[in-house]
Amino acid sequence: MEQSPWDPEGVEVGLDPAGRLVDAAWQGLLARVDPRALYKRMLAARHLDEHLARVAPPMWAPAAGEEAVSVAVALLAADDEWIYPGLRDLAIAAIRGMDLAELAKQALGAAYNGRPGAISATELAVAHVPEALGVHLGMAVGHAQAHKLDGCGRAVVALFGEGLTTTGSFHEAIAAAVVGDLPVVFVCKSQLWPEGAPAEAGLLGDSVTERLRACGLWARRCDGADVIGVARSLELALQRARDGRGPSLVEVVVTPLHAPQVPSHRDPLERLRRYLEATEQWSPTFVAAIEAEIEGQLGRAFTLAAGGA
Amino acid sequence: MIVAERLSLLLAELLREDPRRVLVGEDVRDGGMVGLSRAALVEPALAARLVATPLIPSAQVAHAAGLAMAGRRPILIVASATALLDGYVALRELARVRGCAGGERSGAVVILAPVGPGFGLGGDGAESPEAVIAALVGLRVLCVGDAEEAAAYVRGAASFDAGEGPTVVLLPRSLLLAECAEDRALGRPLGAARVVREGAEATVFAWGGALAPALAAIEASGREVALVDVGGLAPIDEAAVVAAAGRSGKVVIAHPGGAGPLAAEIAAMVADQAILHLDAPVLRVSGREGPLTYPDEAAALPSVESIAAALARVILY
Repeated sequence: MEQSPWDPEGVEVGLDPAGRLVDAAWQGLLARVDPRALYKRMLAARHLDEHLARVAPPMWAPAAGEEAVSVAVALLAADDEWIYPGLRDLAIAAIRGMDLAELAKQALGAAYNGRPGAISATELAVAHVPEALGVHLGMAVGHAQAHKLDGCGRAVVALFGEGLTTTGSFHEAIAAAVVGDLPVVFVCKSQLWPEGAPAEAGLLGDSVTERLRACGLWARRCDGADVIGVARSLELALQRARDGRGPSLVEVVVTPLHAPQVPSHRDPLERLRRYLEATEQWSPTFVAAIEAEIEGQLGRAFTLAAGGA
Repeated sequence: MIVAERLSLLLAELLREDPRRVLVGEDVRDGGMVGLSRAALVEPALAARLVATPLIPSAQVAHAAGLAMAGRRPILIVASATALLDGYVALRELARVRGCAGGERSGAVVILAPVGPGFGLGGDGAESPEAVIAALVGLRVLCVGDAEEAAAYVRGAASFDAGEGPTVVLLPRSLLLAECAEDRALGRPLGAARVVREGAEATVFAWGGALAPALAAIEASGREVALVDVGGLAPIDEAAVVAAAGRSGKVVIAHPGGAGPLAAEIAAMVADQAILHLDAPVLRVSGREGPLTYPDEAAALPSVESIAAALARVILY
């Protein structure tokens, strides 16, 4: 498989571009997280994004290519572990069991707290997304402080994009988490070629991981096209937090699939499909069945939210 | 005992009464701003709930908001009300979390902030940014007006019995170091205006550090002038303000800091609802606009002379 400019360097690898599991030791993870369930949820996240693309709420940006992050976070965080998502992580609440019609209603800005494109599902321990950039990181750190006071062995997860790493709120949150040695997992979605970013945005360096290691954080960089690698890194980070070993960063290099000339192995769905095919867990019938189920549910939810019957 | 010592004892009491409460601030593990965490610090059972954070106002406010999301009841001590301007972005988010995220989980945050002149600091330590803070929708803003009521204000703000939203309690620096012989119960809802003295010839509305010069000006005038401590700055006790204005028909608003929108709001309330009772123009008396150096920080409060002059003008109008 040919290396492309979209392939990140220095990442933990679970599935290589051909969909082969590089380390048999990771079979343990696959025993806990069924790869077909991973595939189904990533497919659902992709379809959710497609539905939103059709409506295109204000300030909305496509999340195709980032599914591995949402799915790994939603599956690996325990039910009572809070998640502070960013705007492109809508799938988390859906996977956690949020009513899809309610999700669609909120995402379209038709619910009581209506801000188009954003949702909150506090009963599922999914926080809202503040409009002010990065405030949710500080809140996640405060939430983790409460867990530390309780001594309950729970982690808090906060998601953001690498664009946020130049803001003060990002550094403030990191400082507070390090000072308090708090059980929070920062999950950063990095793009190698961020769209619309000014040249000076890259001056701090490509690797958020390296920057935060310098702050004393345990940090892992992984590849968003490789859901197994993402899940493995996240699992380690969550376990550290639960064991009281402090804050951590999981940086996931994601590829915006709508960008031109993105090779197919950069698509997390395609890479996992290759793995499933190679291990004889994939069939056209399997995909047709789950696609029909997902489309049926999402189609109904968005029709209801748009005021249809 | 000075007010700061009294509040230190009260904060220890509050922590003891409710295990959800947490004291947050930069130096709370070192006695806290003007010693507010000193009493809690010496009790080993409470020390774990003193949460020291970096001195970054926005991070501190976000930290408190996150603690509240987890079901805690944080009491955040900031070094100065002006620090909340540094932390405005997080304060704004704190004020609207309940509306966005649903539920009352996130509301139970109290912020204690010294305000106005009194420590001889000048600069930020003399400023009165309450109008900017009170402008945030979803935030309750209270300003203590009497040393003997300081404890009642903080206790009331920390109770959240009726599901109130996040609350800022402004502690005028001129009161924090004042002697406080005894605690007085409020005898009115928190945030309601308090009639300090009655008088039929004119009504002075004031809050915080402006109450003392207002009272001095009234006493020096020898006239029958009412004084009202506004107390709640967001929301303002509109019914009490309108009623007190209507009783005398002559209104002076004396407040700390430069001329600002809170006094203008009170004037507008009076014009809107008591216009037929008014017998004179509504006057505003403010302090000098900053920044002030430390030797003249007292000028941040309206002077006794300027309040007396305004009173003479409305009474003789």
